[in-house]
Amino acid sequence: MNEKRLTLYELNSLVREVLECEMPDEYWVEAELSECRESRGHCYMELIQKDETTATPIAKASARCWASKWMIVRPYFERTTGQQLHAGMKVLLKVYAQFHEAYGFSWIVTDIDPTYTLGDMARKRQEIIRQLKEEGVFDLQKELRLPMFCQHIAVISSETAAGYGDFCNQLADNPYGFQFQTQLYPAIMQGEEVEQSIINALERIYHYQSSNINSPFDAVVIIRGGGATSDMSGFDTLALAENVANFPLPIITGIGHDRDESILDMVSHTRVKTPTAAAVLLIDHLKEVLDAINDAQERITHQAHQKISTLHLQLSAFSEAIPRLFSIVRTRQEARLETLYQRILSRIQQKTITAQAENHHLEQRLVTALQRRLISESHRMEMLEEKVRALDPTLLLKRGYSITLFKGKAVHDPKALQQGDEIETRLEKGTIKSIIK
Amino acid sequence: MKEIKYEAALAELQSIVNKMENNELDIDQMSDQLKRAQELIKLCKDKLTKTDEEIKKILAEK
Repeated sequence: MNEKRLTLYELNSLVREVLECEMPDEYWVEAELSECRESRGHCYMELIQKDETTATPIAKASARCWASKWMIVRPYFERTTGQQLHAGMKVLLKVYAQFHEAYGFSWIVTDIDPTYTLGDMARKRQEIIRQLKEEGVFDLQKELRLPMFCQHIAVISSETAAGYGDFCNQLADNPYGFQFQTQLYPAIMQGEEVEQSIINALERIYHYQSSNINSPFDAVVIIRGGGATSDMSGFDTLALAENVANFPLPIITGIGHDRDESILDMVSHTRVKTPTAAAVLLIDHLKEVLDAINDAQERITHQAHQKISTLHLQLSAFSEAIPRLFSIVRTRQEARLETLYQRILSRIQQKTITAQAENHHLEQRLVTALQRRLISESHRMEMLEEKVRALDPTLLLKRGYSITLFKGKAVHDPKALQQGDEIETRLEKGTIKSIIK
Repeated sequence: MKEIKYEAALAELQSIVNKMENNELDIDQMSDQLKRAQELIKLCKDKLTKTDEEIKKILAEK
């Protein structure tokens, strides 16, 4: 083996020279980050390309961005995408090749196009949304209703976050004196662990809910605020969205960011921008309930008053009607009595008249009969008188006859007399007294 | 006279009228029955007046 032997350094130098000669240009490359870390101001990345169907890596490479570039590229990228570079992110990098004798091959990054990442993020978000809709869970939270008395609140937040304090203060200082009861379920609200941390908190709330039937939570509030960065990627994951969408309590999000809604916001019951706004929402909701109660109370009172006054009117109408109705009854009854009385009177009158007529008739007959009787009697008397007159002894006396009386009685037979009896002889013009011899 | 109900008084009155109109009464009974009828009528009228007053009084109380 007489061939020339090279040291590793010589060989690597050869590679470097070839690369520098043959690939002097810069290229735009699409890749996925499988790792990303900062060290002494430089950014070290691992790039990967996976097979679209099998997801097995078909290309891998290291890349780095020197601090001089990184301090320019990084703020622009983060401002545009709202995210830090992190594993799993698709990026479009401007690179040139470098081979270093000691460190080997690496792509040197001179620029990053954030719009590509944005597009990829949007696509991923769309994909998650599509999947949620396909599962039929996207709108599940919207079908829940905040309980009327939504006062027992489970809060998922970072324990130390300023937003949590704002939320609690806002609730406590509400102008209506409403009492809220909050229970914090601490969770990490930034970085890689957001998804799992929030899911864990939800599970703890779910567990509490099923073992405290008597004092269950009315709603869950997920808040975040006060953090310096606005890395929202943790809130855009399918697993978190599914957990939130399927949660049996209404979930209110106040995870404060200016960009488009996160998927967490989309599937939640209600989204607001800040923790303070979340507290205001709860206060307003209770205020609406209070207003509704007051309104109902007023309406009930009004209705009752109206009903009572209507009944009063009806009663007075009845009160007025009763004497009038009774006076009709009374008049009718009196007329009836009067009729009966008149009938009685008329019968009595009739009867009296009849009786009087009968009396009169009888009287007439009596008078007639009496008259007739009187006439006939007077005739008889006259005849008797005639007879009597014919029998009158004075007439005989005048003619010369006399009447002998003994003891006042006419003497017809001398044998009736005895010696010594004093007799009286009546003549026309006097009396003779004689004694029998 | 013992307490007679209005309807009973009216019925009795009616029966007096009926008897009179059917000639069931003789002259001797007439004046007694007339007197009775007048008593009944007075009773009925008194009852009507009393009821009227009571109604007004009851309504005034409320």
